[in-house]
Amino acid sequence: MSLFLAILLRFVGLVALLLVNGVVLIYMLRKVLARLHLRIGPNRTGPWGLLQTTADVAKLLTKEDLRATPTDRLLFNTAPYLVFVPAFMAYIPIALSPVLVAAHLDTGPLFVFAVLSMVPLGVVMAGWASNSKWSLIGGMRAAGLQIAYEVPLLLSALGPVMIAGSLDPLRIVAAQSGTWLGFIPRWFVLPQIVAFFIYAIASQAETQQTPFDMSEAESELICGFSNEYGGMRFGFLYLAEFSNMFIASAVGTLLFFGGWQLPWVATPLWLAPIVFIVKVYIGIYFMMWARGSLPRFRMDQLLGFAWKVLIPVSLVWVVLSGVVIRLVSR
Amino acid sequence: MPAQRVADILAAAGVPSAPSDELLGAVVRLEASRVADALAALLAEGFDFFLDLFGTDTGEAIELTYHVRALAALDDVFLKVVVPYDGEAPSVWRSYPAVLHAEREAAELLGVSFPGHPNPKRLLTTEGCDPFLRKSVAVRSAEEVRLPRE
Amino acid sequence: MTGVQSILPEGTQPTPMLPKGLKRVPSGVDQLATEHLILNVGPQHPSTHGVLHMLVELDGEEVIAAEADIGFLHRGIEKLAESRRYHQMGTILDRADYVSGFHTETAFALATEKLAEIEVPRKASWIRSLVMELNRCASHYVWLGPVGMDAGAMAPFLYLMREREMILDVLEAISGSRMMFNYVRPGGVVRDLPAGIDAPLRAWLAIADKYLGETEDLLGGNEIFRARMKGVGVIAPETALAFGMSGACLRSSGIDFDLRKARPYCAYGEIDFDVPLGTVGDAFDRYKVRVEEIHQSVRIVRQLLDGMPEGEHTSKVAKALRPPAGEVYAAVESPRGELGIHLISDGGPTPYRLRLRSPAYYNLGVADELLAGGLIADMIVSLGSLDIVLGEIDR
Repeated sequence: MSLFLAILLRFVGLVALLLVNGVVLIYMLRKVLARLHLRIGPNRTGPWGLLQTTADVAKLLTKEDLRATPTDRLLFNTAPYLVFVPAFMAYIPIALSPVLVAAHLDTGPLFVFAVLSMVPLGVVMAGWASNSKWSLIGGMRAAGLQIAYEVPLLLSALGPVMIAGSLDPLRIVAAQSGTWLGFIPRWFVLPQIVAFFIYAIASQAETQQTPFDMSEAESELICGFSNEYGGMRFGFLYLAEFSNMFIASAVGTLLFFGGWQLPWVATPLWLAPIVFIVKVYIGIYFMMWARGSLPRFRMDQLLGFAWKVLIPVSLVWVVLSGVVIRLVSR
Repeated sequence: MPAQRVADILAAAGVPSAPSDELLGAVVRLEASRVADALAALLAEGFDFFLDLFGTDTGEAIELTYHVRALAALDDVFLKVVVPYDGEAPSVWRSYPAVLHAEREAAELLGVSFPGHPNPKRLLTTEGCDPFLRKSVAVRSAEEVRLPRE
Repeated sequence: MTGVQSILPEGTQPTPMLPKGLKRVPSGVDQLATEHLILNVGPQHPSTHGVLHMLVELDGEEVIAAEADIGFLHRGIEKLAESRRYHQMGTILDRADYVSGFHTETAFALATEKLAEIEVPRKASWIRSLVMELNRCASHYVWLGPVGMDAGAMAPFLYLMREREMILDVLEAISGSRMMFNYVRPGGVVRDLPAGIDAPLRAWLAIADKYLGETEDLLGGNEIFRARMKGVGVIAPETALAFGMSGACLRSSGIDFDLRKARPYCAYGEIDFDVPLGTVGDAFDRYKVRVEEIHQSVRIVRQLLDGMPEGEHTSKVAKALRPPAGEVYAAVESPRGELGIHLISDGGPTPYRLRLRSPAYYNLGVADELLAGGLIADMIVSLGSLDIVLGEIDR
């Protein structure tokens, strides 16, 4: 019985984290983009427009669930969940603090990348089942993009894992405690700076944000694979996107920025989740910054960049850091 | 460039024409069937820039005006041909591809045709629309269109 | 390309006779059968800059053929003009090129003045040049921003709106309207420059070059934007001439033709400015040429403001103007190119025929030549770089 209760509690906790994160991120995205664009952003619904997202959710939930006749019913209806469920599963091994984790997996980052690699399947499915040319092109683009950028994403995570000598999030974070030379925090971003940049670029692509928002590419494909979706089905696709942003930033924090630890001082257990969340949101802010100011790549340039630049560079970097780690540890 | 010079160029190409210098500039009038030859000759003589083609309903027929320019010398020439209602003039797109849209527009709005046009579809209006740049088609208000007169 | 067949309905090839007993030509198994996709881009699409409908034949993401389908905004302005008096014409001509109304108005005023032999006071000419240059900047701003958006950059668009707002405020103070001005009439302009217009204009002049520089850093200085624009939508000089392109599109292909220099009208003969030229004729050249044109317009406005003559803003023109029978052509260099008004009068109170030589209409003619061979993403950028205004194309 207590096992069942524990599972239920964790499940509810994850859902709460995902939903609250979605609500906060939508508001944050609007306000951050507005600031970057010399606009004001939402400011009518509630104080400082804080209730805008709530109003949006209410709108999405009460909208009529429309499905065009020539769409493939089964696939069309399933696709949003196939996009959403992996995004939800990716939360499982994310450790907010040494104890606050849904399930302690020895292979945390690997699990995250593995479930997220199922997202393109749902995207292609949504694009194909919509029976719309725009959606089809959007879905195909998304698949090509995600397959190309998953490789450097995984390779870039290898560096920190090699230094820590483990795939366990707790041990990776623990390996980042303390300082070098007494004042530099032992965060892996410093020795793994190249891997960090590859990770930042690849995760921007994995979360499909400008300059890599190929599958949506508003000015070309209008809304890409989610063209024909409305109501809460669209809401799920949207929510998955925001939760992917959180995942990308959270994994980056675990691998490169010392997880829940404050620099220089020992972090009390109660403060750890707050530190972690703040770090994650700082990461998300930088992702939004890039989104607000950069133009979009063209599809062929994007794939060329992934296969011809990012993957070779990350391969060389993995070999190089492997050799250096071996030499130093001797 | 005086209109007579243009007429000489056309005469050398075997196209008879009637030149006149008007307020508009150098105007040359010729047979509708020879307009493609005339424009080809003008292109060869350095009139490299095609400005416009449009038609006017003179009340008896459709007058087509071709406006070309030599960019370097900044000489404008207006070629005018007269075609009967529902008549035709050869398409001149092989000399000036710029004319492609304008010929489609003139065809539907004035009811003339341009044999040789590679894509002779309607451009601006839908099927069944009157050639309303003709004087016989009156401008009507929205109310008149909606409520047929008793 | 073997095995590729078009699903376009134009099957003009006759079916050859088959030997008896055969149902089809024994051409073997097509191992890689692909189909072309016909995509309808527009008329409701974020990047067709109005109600343009592009029919595009795609092989994967590559454009095989493209056709511009226009007319969704056709209001029959040329026909309507035949039932308007000369002083009423501004109202409908503003709605032709709604982004730069002053240019159409001025072209019509110049044509009428030529036909009716009306003298224009020097001050009126200078005011016309002033408002046209301001309008050119506003129009180029509203081109530059959306072309950034076509490439995916949202921020420059909203930055440029800030400067455009300053110009529109000035134009509103001068003419009483932000876009549908109806200010330039045959004989001059409707009213004199209002007192105190100097301050807001100088405020804009003070920031114009600096703020535009910021936008240039954001767009032209961005590696992604350059990668998207360079070598995309190349228009060779001979192609530009063949399709009768004018304005910045023609100049970015390296052909030096600007009506303001070639046949100076209004105050341009007395003003010092440069005509920027491109070398390659790609989308990036068109971007550079237009940005430089804004800088030159700022220079022109400064000179016009400093040297604004005293005097009347209009000459005496009869309300019911009846120009003698005749035919004239007058043109101005609008932000999109040579905008001409071909006016035919039969001596009556309304024009017998008014033809608007629309520059964007001819610039769009290059679409098929320009887009074939590029990708969908290139198509959006190439089309955007032409600076099309559908109000003027459809008329």
